[in-house]
Amino acid sequence: MDTAATNHALEVRGLRKTVPVGFMRKKVEILKGVDLAVRHGDVFGLLGPNGAGKTTTVKIVVGLMRPTAGDVRLGVDGAGETGYLPENPYFYEYLSGREFLNLCGRLFALERQHRLERVGELLRDVGLEAAAETHLRKYSKGMLQRIGIAQALINDPKLVLLDEPMTGLDPVGRVEVKRIIERLRDRGKTVLFNSHILSDVGELCSHIAIMTAGKVVWDGSVDEALGASSGGLEEFFMDVVSA
Amino acid sequence: MSRALAIAVNTFRETIRDRILGVIVVFALLMIVGSLWLASISLGQEGRMMKDFGLVAVSLFGLIVAVFVAANLVHKEVEKRTVYVIFSKPVGRAQFIFAKFMGLAATLACVLAGMGLFLFFADWAVSKTPTAMILAATALIYLELLVVVAVTIVLSTMTSAILASVLGITVFVAGQLSRQALSLTSLGHSPVLKGLSWFVYVLIPNLNAVDVKPSVVGELAPDWSQVAAWSGYLVAYAVLALLLASWLFSRKEF
Amino acid sequence: MRRVVLALVALACVAVVVGFQVTRPVKAAGSPRVFVPSPHFYEKMSPSYRTSIADLYWLGIVQYYGEHIEGDGRLDSLPAMLDLVTALSPRFIEPYLFSTFALADAGRPQTAYDLLERGYRANPRNWRLPYQLGFLAYTYGKGKEKALTAARWFEIASGLPGCPAFMPRLVAGMLRRGGEREKAIIMWGPIYTEGDKFARQKTVESLETLLPKGKAARMKAVVPLYQTMPKDAFQELLAELFKDYVK
Repeated sequence: MDTAATNHALEVRGLRKTVPVGFMRKKVEILKGVDLAVRHGDVFGLLGPNGAGKTTTVKIVVGLMRPTAGDVRLGVDGAGETGYLPENPYFYEYLSGREFLNLCGRLFALERQHRLERVGELLRDVGLEAAAETHLRKYSKGMLQRIGIAQALINDPKLVLLDEPMTGLDPVGRVEVKRIIERLRDRGKTVLFNSHILSDVGELCSHIAIMTAGKVVWDGSVDEALGASSGGLEEFFMDVVSA
Repeated sequence: MSRALAIAVNTFRETIRDRILGVIVVFALLMIVGSLWLASISLGQEGRMMKDFGLVAVSLFGLIVAVFVAANLVHKEVEKRTVYVIFSKPVGRAQFIFAKFMGLAATLACVLAGMGLFLFFADWAVSKTPTAMILAATALIYLELLVVVAVTIVLSTMTSAILASVLGITVFVAGQLSRQALSLTSLGHSPVLKGLSWFVYVLIPNLNAVDVKPSVVGELAPDWSQVAAWSGYLVAYAVLALLLASWLFSRKEF
Repeated sequence: MRRVVLALVALACVAVVVGFQVTRPVKAAGSPRVFVPSPHFYEKMSPSYRTSIADLYWLGIVQYYGEHIEGDGRLDSLPAMLDLVTALSPRFIEPYLFSTFALADAGRPQTAYDLLERGYRANPRNWRLPYQLGFLAYTYGKGKEKALTAARWFEIASGLPGCPAFMPRLVAGMLRRGGEREKAIIMWGPIYTEGDKFARQKTVESLETLLPKGKAARMKAVVPLYQTMPKDAFQELLAELFKDYVK
């Protein structure tokens, strides 16, 4: 990963990823040259059908996977300035919400006083103050997503990467998460999130990219996408994906 | 350092709360007390039976805890995807492995200290005199088990948790037979076989170079300088194993 | 209805399980010949647990002896089992001591003697081993030599920590039986010097049987005591030995 100068918060060029699959370790290319550019302060939606390579792209940006080829450039100072919410997150269920956020803060080597204040602040921000001492095993799906977002923000990152943040949430949960993303946008954070819930993308994002079969097939502003199709974002998406 | 400590403390909290651990420890304590039943048919040798069989219980139940918890240590994090939370933050792979090891080492220290002290006091009640060597023997069992933990962690980065547990126990048994591996190096004429024998001998951890347990029941005390040298060997072996585990783990993707 | 059926099935199974177990015949005494591996096997295969394995075999010996001594009276495998236990745990004293009687019961006093000697070499500071050796030597030995051999062992035992006060008396007694009159007389000197009232009484009684009756011969015979005892103690002993001669 390269943190060389870039005007964007995140720039991905020619990203390729090949993985061995099956008993015979047959090589399968899941990313076939992904190009992305996310500007500072954008809320960027990464769309695509299942298996398009969205999660793999995000994992490579975060450092959970290594690219086979290509380049990732962060306009922020590396891992210390990014926050990540994984898809269908699983956390340490024997910890309470507060203990879990404390642990995450310690992984960023935050000073004790600052860390404790930050944890309190985040619990308020994501509306989990009342459940702070409850073990995570008792959290609902919506609560887990919110604590997941909180841990992604523990280090007050400039770039926040959220993988399917609204999947599996009930309508109330989705609204809560959307509000959190809006607040992040208002605070000038750059947010990139994967989703295939197009209505949420249309509401929150300023820019989108559409991936299929390991490549970005379209990217641009949401307004451009809406302008290109009379049937709204869903129809535009279907047109692009099936082209 | 504080990152590693945070992971180590978290690992300690996770493993010490494991219910399986509690069950195993209870069984170990029952076995120690149960050795008294065996001792009742020993013609007045209750103290000796309690020490010997008590240390066997500490060793074997400590092994079960070490192997089964170590095999799941890293595996569980990968399966449950809590590694995403860890490695999306500035935490190195080697740092993670060493920290997980330290957390389990702390848990194992608590378990063995508990069993060792229980045996010490139970034996004191039966024999009417305290035997401090029980504690020394327990400490050395602990060092042996740390090596087994380190090796099991290596294995768990390459294979499933169950297979890593079974192989971990196999390594423990092989380690008890280290002297046999040494004697194999002087058998046969083929230099290839000899080389292979030496390789196997060095590779297998030597878990019986010095045995303190017989001195607990009145056999000759060990040479403490040898005990110190062996302890240094065990620590070095564990560190090497953890470095190997770190390297293997660094190649993993999630 | 279903629950009743399940409960009845469970009860029936309990009855079968318990019934089967309680109707098993009581185990007949095992064979007097049991397989006993060589100590080398365990020394090589599990050097870390050799004392625990010795303990297990010790428990086996106790059961084996109890089973057969009252039963067929055959203790064929006892020597091998004792050999194994003491090889794996040379400082485990009880098997050596047990062997004194058990192997003698098995008609193998020489084996017991050899085992005890090995035990003594491994545990030179334990008085009970030379004591048992002396006992075996006298009980199963032949001729005059048996008393002298016993005396030698008892003398070794008498110099070891924890040895009971009667040991020097045993030495003296064995020397007398072995015909070593002068040595026996000398042995009583320290017993008188260090002993209590009872020991002194025994000393005088024994010396009365050892010393000649004639006054001149008696005076000559007590010279070794004069040479080896403290002056005060010798004077007191002399007074008692010659109290009937000063009338």
